[in-house]
Amino acid sequence: MRAKKLAPVMRGLSAVTASVMALSIVGADIADGYRARIDDFLGTQSYVTNTDEDSARFVSDYDTFEDMKAAAKDIAVREGEEGTVIMKNDNSVLPLSGKSVALFGLAAYAPYPYASGDLKAGNTDAVDLVQAFQDAGVEVNQTVMDFYENGILNEHTEEVANQWTGEMETQVAYDHIYVTAPGDMTTYQIAEVPPSEYENLGAPSGWESQIDKDNTVGICVFARGAGESNTYAPGSAVNYAGEETGEDPLALSEDELAVIDKAKETCSQVVVLINSGNTMVLSDIAAGGEHEVDGIAYIGCLNDYQAIGVVNVLTGQINATGALTDTYVADNSSIPAVQNFGGGYYADYEVVNSDGDDPRYPGTTIENIEAGSFGGTTPTYNGGTYIVEAEGIYVGYKYYETRYYDSIANPDSGAASAAGATQSDAWSYNDEVLYDFGHGLSYLDYTQELRSVNVDCTEDGEITAVVAITNNSDQDGRFLAQLYAQQPYTDYDRENNVEKSAVMFLNSAKVDVAAGATEEVTITIPTKYLASYDYTNAKTYILDAGDYYFTAAAGSHEAVNNILAAQGYTTAEGMDAEAAGAVQIWNLAEMDNTTYSVSNGTEVTNVADDADLNYWTEDDTVTYLTRQDWEGTWPVNYNEVEINISDSPKSEEWIAELRGQTYTIQDGDAATEGTDSGLRFDTTDIQYEQLDNIEDPFWTELVGQITIDEAVGAVIHGGSQTDTLTNIDNPVVVQNEGVSGFTAAYTDEETGETYRFNVHSQTLLGSSFNPELAYDWGRVEGNSGLWLQRYHLWGTGLTQRRTPYNGRNYEYISEDPMLTNRMGYGVLQGCADMGILNGPKHMGFNDQEHNRAGISVYMNEQKFRETDLRCFQGGLEDADGMAVMIAFNRIGATNASHYAPMLQTILRGEWAYTGLISTDMMNNNYYFNPESMIMAGITQVADFATNDNHINMGDGGTDATWAYIDEDTVSKDAALVDQARENLKYQLYTFANSAVMNVSTERVQTWWDNAISAVTYISGALAVVTLAAWIVLTVKPEKKKEEE
Amino acid sequence: MIKKQSFGIWFNLVVAVLTVVSLIVYGVNISGEGYFKGASVGNLILYGVIAIIMLAAVIVLAQLQITGTAQKVMEIISGLLRIAVPVLLTLALVNLVSARAEGLGFIYFSNADVLQEVQTPANMSSATGTIANMICLGAAAIFAMIAAFFTLRKKDA
Repeated sequence: MRAKKLAPVMRGLSAVTASVMALSIVGADIADGYRARIDDFLGTQSYVTNTDEDSARFVSDYDTFEDMKAAAKDIAVREGEEGTVIMKNDNSVLPLSGKSVALFGLAAYAPYPYASGDLKAGNTDAVDLVQAFQDAGVEVNQTVMDFYENGILNEHTEEVANQWTGEMETQVAYDHIYVTAPGDMTTYQIAEVPPSEYENLGAPSGWESQIDKDNTVGICVFARGAGESNTYAPGSAVNYAGEETGEDPLALSEDELAVIDKAKETCSQVVVLINSGNTMVLSDIAAGGEHEVDGIAYIGCLNDYQAIGVVNVLTGQINATGALTDTYVADNSSIPAVQNFGGGYYADYEVVNSDGDDPRYPGTTIENIEAGSFGGTTPTYNGGTYIVEAEGIYVGYKYYETRYYDSIANPDSGAASAAGATQSDAWSYNDEVLYDFGHGLSYLDYTQELRSVNVDCTEDGEITAVVAITNNSDQDGRFLAQLYAQQPYTDYDRENNVEKSAVMFLNSAKVDVAAGATEEVTITIPTKYLASYDYTNAKTYILDAGDYYFTAAAGSHEAVNNILAAQGYTTAEGMDAEAAGAVQIWNLAEMDNTTYSVSNGTEVTNVADDADLNYWTEDDTVTYLTRQDWEGTWPVNYNEVEINISDSPKSEEWIAELRGQTYTIQDGDAATEGTDSGLRFDTTDIQYEQLDNIEDPFWTELVGQITIDEAVGAVIHGGSQTDTLTNIDNPVVVQNEGVSGFTAAYTDEETGETYRFNVHSQTLLGSSFNPELAYDWGRVEGNSGLWLQRYHLWGTGLTQRRTPYNGRNYEYISEDPMLTNRMGYGVLQGCADMGILNGPKHMGFNDQEHNRAGISVYMNEQKFRETDLRCFQGGLEDADGMAVMIAFNRIGATNASHYAPMLQTILRGEWAYTGLISTDMMNNNYYFNPESMIMAGITQVADFATNDNHINMGDGGTDATWAYIDEDTVSKDAALVDQARENLKYQLYTFANSAVMNVSTERVQTWWDNAISAVTYISGALAVVTLAAWIVLTVKPEKKKEEE
Repeated sequence: MIKKQSFGIWFNLVVAVLTVVSLIVYGVNISGEGYFKGASVGNLILYGVIAIIMLAAVIVLAQLQITGTAQKVMEIISGLLRIAVPVLLTLALVNLVSARAEGLGFIYFSNADVLQEVQTPANMSSATGTIANMICLGAAAIFAMIAAFFTLRKKDA
């Protein structure tokens, strides 16, 4: 009887234990694929890092945690000190020595960014503006502070449920605060509370009389939000009341101006502080504006400690040495690049669609519409939109200063025509420009004079300039010298469409000078940057014959005026000021089109003809802006021009590129399988000779050991975490964010204290104009990596600020390629010196976030080489940069991550770059494909979560993301597999040359690994036992019955 | 005539129904607008259908009036099927979770700015649909495990 009851129980138990065993076996495999994510979530570690302290090649500069923290804080304060720009300073309003202040504006009490995250560390000892003022002994008006902090902002925390875990998380929240996310080309509310609301929100009536007007300076602080995937749209401003005003969201709104007026009413003087990474429009408060204020200062985006430095400048503790990284204009529609902004569809974009005819995805309908950065909804190639960057090199000051120069020196160019003029019928520099690039007032009177310049015209030669700085004041101080040059604009250039800016920034330096003394500072820059790219005739870099003018000046406009004066022009011809400084002339007798036609052994010639829309239409569809004819070539909005892909003689090729078919997997050349020849990634096999020379045969032999499956798999799934390869035994390397430093928290073993080292401000580094500060920050960032035992991060942003509207401008440096180039050089070299891989974002024209995941960016090759790429060239060619992230968008019609001309010819060839190359986030398998990425030279694809080195995470051995490839398919294409191994070679070589080879990682079982194993074994054993018991019990009882 | 069924049979029927419901929810999820449109999961339908066929076989076998060794054999076969069904449903569930994890991670865990882009109403409803799918399959699997405990033969009076 018992048997009868027991049998079903055994059967039931067998079912349960068998299911549990199946679950744990399959689950273990899946968990392994998401190991890093699970570790993050549970706080476990699957890899233990063993640092060989004695033989470690990279050792931190700091012995104690206190020292490391102090260094981080110190550099952040220096950024505040060196990056604060005094834009306007009338009536001696600044410095504030001894005066009291009343702070107005939401950002005064909660500067941007206020929430800790990627761009703000949020350490407990962070100092905001109010505290910085108080610590500096400045009296802050209590009445205004009270009603702002308690009535208007009312900072509190909110419990917000984490959407996945349901756990409540605390977040800072305010009753009233500016909008931190611009959104994706939508309306932007400038949520500044106007004074008419103050009393409603708690200001005591008659609060104005609580301010001692005569002795108080009103300081108004205004911010603008920013963020990934965000783009401002022209004309999209919404006011506090929620009404659309049709104004530019980057211009000061009526509500903000009302706050300023109230400050002017209640205080004797007013200073406005600009707290934004997006250049704002300040015509109303600048000289002559309806709401003109006494002082304006740029304070960038503040992190934990920069406010201390900002206040040190505002109170006059130290001299102001910052300068503007962008041109401030009266109206953003005067910007040539804004004429082609946002992008739009080809007239016949649907011709690219596949209705099942794409051989890689037979039977799948694939559209060609815009998708988000993740391509999640309908399958789409996301190749339907485009933008034409018809402005060429004329971004920022290069446009305004050149047109100013031509209005004086070349009036036939139409510089004074109406085209592009926003303030009147005739374009005039002083109507359009409020503050020029490089503008920044010093408290102490000084002069900078270019004493000499030497130009070494060889491939690796440098321009050496000696600038004398004279401190005309009675205080010791620090001063900024900026070096500019003018290249000759010749008939050859006019005939061959080589554009030249009337002035170009080369480099800058700061120096301490005692009161009344003069000090010399030497500024150097590689000569190659003086050459221009001739894409129509010589098809290489050229140095025109003629006079090259060099000058040291406090800004691009002063530089142009110095040069005009040296050329004999005066205010009679229209100059708006007299020359301020000396000019040195270097003459080149004959055109040189050979010295810079070769770089690092690679011939330099046209590689990006197909980035030009005219190449595809075979029609002069695009007219590029030229200084020969400002009026006739003022950019047309090419999104309003009907472009039909099918009308092109190259339509088939065009469609193929838009579909991502840059490379097609070949069949017929069998790849060699990798076998173990005993070489490993360790210090016994890798000695000095191997470290120094990637051509050493060791590296080819090492990667020859990688199996076909892992060679391809490690490239196409290698993002997030680089895993250990079989036969190589390289350590695991996790990738980290962000642009302000490592976001990971450090926990001190002894005290348990946690600290975050991402204390940097990219905006203030830019406006510091100090490449040495960039190096110092890079070194601190690198040091923090050693402390965190994290060796690879996407730790700086170097994209050119093509327009003020890009929501990620706060992660970048400037509108100018050379300033960005020099800052990138400093940061990357600083990190490299500590053995940390710092990959700048995003190489290749990611000028806007709107539809970044597929938009075609068309341009001519002069723009290609001399603008955004030049921003990265300093760090990746001149410095020892070891990593880079490629832009999300297309170069021409080709996905930047498929674009071999940029990645192989320029990056690997011309720049001799040996580091790793990563894509941006890969989440649209119809836009990115493995074969094109491998052949272009990508070493790792940033897919979101999976950590894997294999092709076969999908069904039946096919790839989980790209189902048309499996090990078998790729094995028949030797070129593909060899290229994959070649790409990994660079990656391994770079890891060996970094702090990654300081360490070895050991895989350890986490508690959940053990738990899963235990469950598998126990449930397995029980399943067998209960199954057997059930069978026996089922078979047995009958016999007993019969016996009875 | 269908004779009166034991509680065990009804329970197995419930499991079959739950499995069918899961497959329907799955079908709706991958055909609806949103993140998981068209995102078929390998073998899910296959395992589900096999599980339903096995359950049908179990129910049919239980109707047979046989005795002796044949009955023993049938009981073993039926029992093995009833052990296999929850295993299959568990595997189907694990397959589903594995296929969906990355997508759900994107929808719920992206950094703040990307989150705004990804959390469209269509995507959120697709995500909810997928979670419902998982819950249905999970319930089917658990019920199947419980069902294995029950006898199928009505006790002879």
